Amino acid sequence: MNPAVAVRGLDVRFGVKQVLRSVDLTIARGELLGLCGPNGAGKSTLLRTLLGLVARQGGEVQVGDRDPARDPLGVRRTTSYLPGENGVYLQLTGSAYLDFALGFFPRHDRERRERLLAHFALPLGQKVRSYSAGMKQKLALLAALVPDVDLYVLDEPDRALDASVRFVLRDELLAMQRAGKTILLSSHHLGEVEALADRLVFLLDGVFVADERLAAARAQLRRRPRVRLAAGQPLPAGARELHREADGTLVVATDQDPMQWLRACPDGAVDSVEIGIPRLEDLYQLLLQGAGEVQP
Amino acid sequence: MIAGKTFRELRWMALAYLLILEALCVPVLLWWPDIYADLQRSSLFRSLPLDFAKRIFEGITDKDEGIAYRNWVAVMLFFRSCNLVGTAAAVLFGTGLFARERENQTFEFLLSRPIARGAILWQKLWPAALCTVLPLFVVNASALYWSTHIGEQLPVAELFLATAHAAVFLLFVLTLTAWASLRLRVQAHVAAAVGAFLVLQIGVYLTQRIRGFSLFRLVDFEWYAPVLAGNTPWWQMLDPFHRHGFTSWLLLATAACLVLAWRDLRRAAP
Repeated sequence: MNPAVAVRGLDVRFGVKQVLRSVDLTIARGELLGLCGPNGAGKSTLLRTLLGLVARQGGEVQVGDRDPARDPLGVRRTTSYLPGENGVYLQLTGSAYLDFALGFFPRHDRERRERLLAHFALPLGQKVRSYSAGMKQKLALLAALVPDVDLYVLDEPDRALDASVRFVLRDELLAMQRAGKTILLSSHHLGEVEALADRLVFLLDGVFVADERLAAARAQLRRRPRVRLAAGQPLPAGARELHREADGTLVVATDQDPMQWLRACPDGAVDSVEIGIPRLEDLYQLLLQGAGEVQP
Repeated sequence: MIAGKTFRELRWMALAYLLILEALCVPVLLWWPDIYADLQRSSLFRSLPLDFAKRIFEGITDKDEGIAYRNWVAVMLFFRSCNLVGTAAAVLFGTGLFARERENQTFEFLLSRPIARGAILWQKLWPAALCTVLPLFVVNASALYWSTHIGEQLPVAELFLATAHAAVFLLFVLTLTAWASLRLRVQAHVAAAVGAFLVLQIGVYLTQRIRGFSLFRLVDFEWYAPVLAGNTPWWQMLDPFHRHGFTSWLLLATAACLVLAWRDLRRAAP
């Protein structure tokens, strides 16, 4: 059986700016793939290329059995897309917007619709103009998740959502995956995407970061705990300060394993410490600094 | 769906446009007998420096009141209401068709739906076109009724032909604005660009030696008066090589704007 998405050697340029360079990506049917990367890495462009919204300059793209450049309509009939800008019409009521957005797709998952409506508790009779950012995102999510299609392409679905709604979204995406749906989602919440996705890929400056390089960067990040020192206490020996955050938290680099360093710290020197929880921004920073690259 | 949504967005503006057209139509028709009498006594227009104004004056002061009334209708309903209010409405309806989608960040959503771009253009344009031209036909048809109140009669077929020509002109303005709405992305820029173009055209029209180069030469008194007088059959309107064949040129220009808009929408990226 063909994969849900097959991309080989994809090149996309906007004028002289090369946005995607020889990108290769395969998503198996029923897979939930997480796509991460800093702003401007080319994530949205990649998703748009899959939908046939952006023209490519080179390479091959197949979504299902179709090439989005040759048959964009065929691709969009079997793909539900949540744009990065949630694209809700402010002048419509919530229910009018849903009717409009869902009207393009012949088949809907009514159970999912009812379930999400119950969780989201949106005032559908009110104009979208009166909605908060989170409510608009919930409405856009409903419009993206309710169509019954093969592939769901979600650009930052958790944007502006609070933690409880992100859990609902996570459960729903897992249920969809269990039902055999293929999901490609980009997100800035690394921990949640990692917990959710079968596989995680990193896009950096238009190319995917190799798995080995990512693993090396993460290992390096593990030796960079976030530490809050007790009042008046100096940084214990065996670690050096990398930077200090606005709330006083120190990001430090330890000479040895951070757990060993922590055990060796004098009693009462450290108030709290965070080890082994990679933050996306730290990972980006390391990768941008060339972490994990093979040295000549 | 897109058509229904577009229509819902425009319907109240279209109703206001219809009411304005009707409000401009009714008094000038019902007061025609007094106006005609006053015009007979007036010599003000004879001293106007613009020759087209003189010809208008000669037309509406014709010794035959029936002919003068038709010329009055040509000036008031067509040269004034259609060209000014109708053009303003076409620009208003066309400006937001695509630029508003971009400003509200719904353009990507729209393009990513499983619907062809040609269908998006069509489903946005036809409700806007309907809202632009239908009030014209309604108000001009009402002129038939109001005319009976002052003992005048307007020829139905000729009035319809003149209205059809005015409608084609407004469709051209609408499609031109829709095309600009795709290219310029910001509603204010679209309105400013099309507005500036139309003001320039009015300026050219009011300049004696270059008047023939103005777009409004295609929809002025000198075009409408012969039609309402019954001197221009419909096939002459559609003959591009006939001196009354301006309708055919407007239709061609409308088609050209549609093709340009379709080309730009096909190429449009979110």
